[in-house]
Amino acid sequence: MEKLASIIIVIGTILWLISVLFLGGRWQWQMFAALVLTVGIFIAHFWEELSEGKDKKTPRDDN
Amino acid sequence: MARERISQADEWQTWAQRYDIEGGVRTFESGLTVKVFFGALFVGLLMMPGSIYLSYVSGQSGAAAAPWVAVILFTELARRSFTTARRQELYMLLSLTGAAVGSGMQYRSFIWYAYFINTPQAISYEIADKIPAWVVPAGDSVGVLSRNLLHPDWLLPIGVYLVGKFLGTLRVVSGQYILFRLTADLERLPYPMAPITAQGATALAETTGKQETWRWQVFSIGSMAGLIWGFIYIGVPALTGVMMSQPIQILKIPWIDFTQSIEGFAPTGVFALRTDFGQMLFGFVLPFPVVMSEFVTAMLSQFVLNPYILYPQEILHQWHPGLDVRATNLYNGLDFWRSYDIGKTFSLGLVGMAASVPMLFKLRKTQKKAGQRGSLATPPNRGDFPLWLMGILWLIGMGGFVWLIHWMVPNFPLSFLLGFAFLYTPINSYITARTFGVLGRDLFEIPYLHEITFILSRYEEIDIWFAPLPDEDYGAGTQGWRVLELTGTTFTSNLAATLLIMPILIISGILVQHFIWQIAPIPSAQYPYVQMMWPINATNECLMKTSLRDGNSEIIQAIRGDYVAAGFTSSLAIYGLLWVLKYPSMWYYGIIGGIGADPGSMVARLLGAIIGRFYMIKRFGLKRWFMFNPVLAAGFACGVGLIGMGTVAIALVSKAVIVKPF
Repeated sequence: MEKLASIIIVIGTILWLISVLFLGGRWQWQMFAALVLTVGIFIAHFWEELSEGKDKKTPRDDN
Repeated sequence: MARERISQADEWQTWAQRYDIEGGVRTFESGLTVKVFFGALFVGLLMMPGSIYLSYVSGQSGAAAAPWVAVILFTELARRSFTTARRQELYMLLSLTGAAVGSGMQYRSFIWYAYFINTPQAISYEIADKIPAWVVPAGDSVGVLSRNLLHPDWLLPIGVYLVGKFLGTLRVVSGQYILFRLTADLERLPYPMAPITAQGATALAETTGKQETWRWQVFSIGSMAGLIWGFIYIGVPALTGVMMSQPIQILKIPWIDFTQSIEGFAPTGVFALRTDFGQMLFGFVLPFPVVMSEFVTAMLSQFVLNPYILYPQEILHQWHPGLDVRATNLYNGLDFWRSYDIGKTFSLGLVGMAASVPMLFKLRKTQKKAGQRGSLATPPNRGDFPLWLMGILWLIGMGGFVWLIHWMVPNFPLSFLLGFAFLYTPINSYITARTFGVLGRDLFEIPYLHEITFILSRYEEIDIWFAPLPDEDYGAGTQGWRVLELTGTTFTSNLAATLLIMPILIISGILVQHFIWQIAPIPSAQYPYVQMMWPINATNECLMKTSLRDGNSEIIQAIRGDYVAAGFTSSLAIYGLLWVLKYPSMWYYGIIGGIGADPGSMVARLLGAIIGRFYMIKRFGLKRWFMFNPVLAAGFACGVGLIGMGTVAIALVSKAVIVKPF
């Protein structure tokens, strides 16, 4: 699932770049890329929540 | 080395632990006592009227300093009476004072419209005779001409105001509470700015006890720094303004504009160095990745994106050499950034939804203990309310409010009101609550929302401009509930205090407005600030209220779908790529905040973040430094507030006794 989410997000980003660079930045194409990105982001978060709890380490406080 | 993936909630929870006073284990007590109630009475009857009067005379209400002054007086009285003041009591006093001083300003609209309805501007723009009776009585009524707020002519406007106030309290309390439970309990967002207020009250409470700890020392250091800075930044201009026609500003307020200096190599870029170095304190508190990524992105926007991509492509086409920061921002905004920002802010909402919806699904599967992330269970004795009850109260409050507006403007389409009330307001509030939970500030705002609504509704009557719309935002108020939690104040006592003080403030506010209005007409020579400003404001209000009469608005024409889509999609792409590369989501909020912004406004905050990260943490240790800095910031605010109030008072007294030859 993590890889699937990553691939969809990368495809969505490439689609957006294509829509801006080669398709004149028309809002219809950009919104299509946004739809793909939205699907990827939702999959990413669902995966995060559902895979949580297995030997999860406390994140390092390096901020 | 490969990065380890950290979920958003884990990342924010780690951040929140730094600020968790008493290590997350705390007891809750009521902050409402007889002492606090009398303290609040003092505020209601003395400080709020003073604040209203100052605002008419000088335009400065002293509102920021008033709560701290009240609390310091309260603690000093406690010390001299050999009693102690608990931090719950002090925080309660602090919040009630803030509410009291703020609420005093609400009654200004009565006086304003009593003036506005008889101005030559309102008459010439053909507005005067169209102002509804629920805003102000007729211009030739006795209530207006005799400057008498207690006259029966004012029954309708004041009655509508009071009904609105009651319904507003229902909505705001319940709406804020539900969002707080969602963002603080369920999502465990850190609310980084909340500890500033919480630690300030704690520090002052300790001064009344037997032992003074590090908190009072740090608070004092902050206060002294605030006094010095406040004298330089506010005091010198205020005091020299008494004696000279042009006040001396040691540091130019509010910024030093370098925009024209950089236009040679960065046309369309802006750089205005904000001189309020009090912002450094925010840099100490905010997450370092947020501050750093915000600044870097802002620099790239102004020195690369604007001059070398958007300007050559003629997307930014209105700019020309010689413009200052305000004009450049205006033209760049109309050409591109206003549209882009709309899309960007919508991406924030979607990202928040993506992070929280899976958590809600998971919640249905697993029951968790209080305090664990992803749990709606409450800590014991916090004084919580049932969520269903708050939901019903909100529905009653919002339903009543929509009915009230529909009664005010019966021909305005009801569907717009319902859409704002039950769709826009919850989404907008949730997004703001999340940004406050992470950044301590609001990022989501749709500009010219009312104008867009009026155009889409095809409603042409002028009365809609005077009616409130149910497009509300409870997000910022959720921080107050977090502060209550940090100070260990029970929620029930806070609600009881709010309800007890409200009638006192309503009555005293109207009486004081009446009294001040009776002294002299507003505007008049007695009230020099409003005498200078209100005629200009009247012209602006007329221009605004008639701007859509001919169906033509430059602002509306400036919003372009392809640029809105660019803002939305690029922001989602940034968020997605950061997730793929396993970067913390805080970077996203920093980057989104910085795109298109002026880096000059962030320099002080960046300095604070760098000093904190590379010197203070090494000097004091991470844990101690993050305990120190909210107290330091609270002390600083107190110092600046005190110097501001003091110098403005001196200036006012001097102006009252020195007769100028003009």
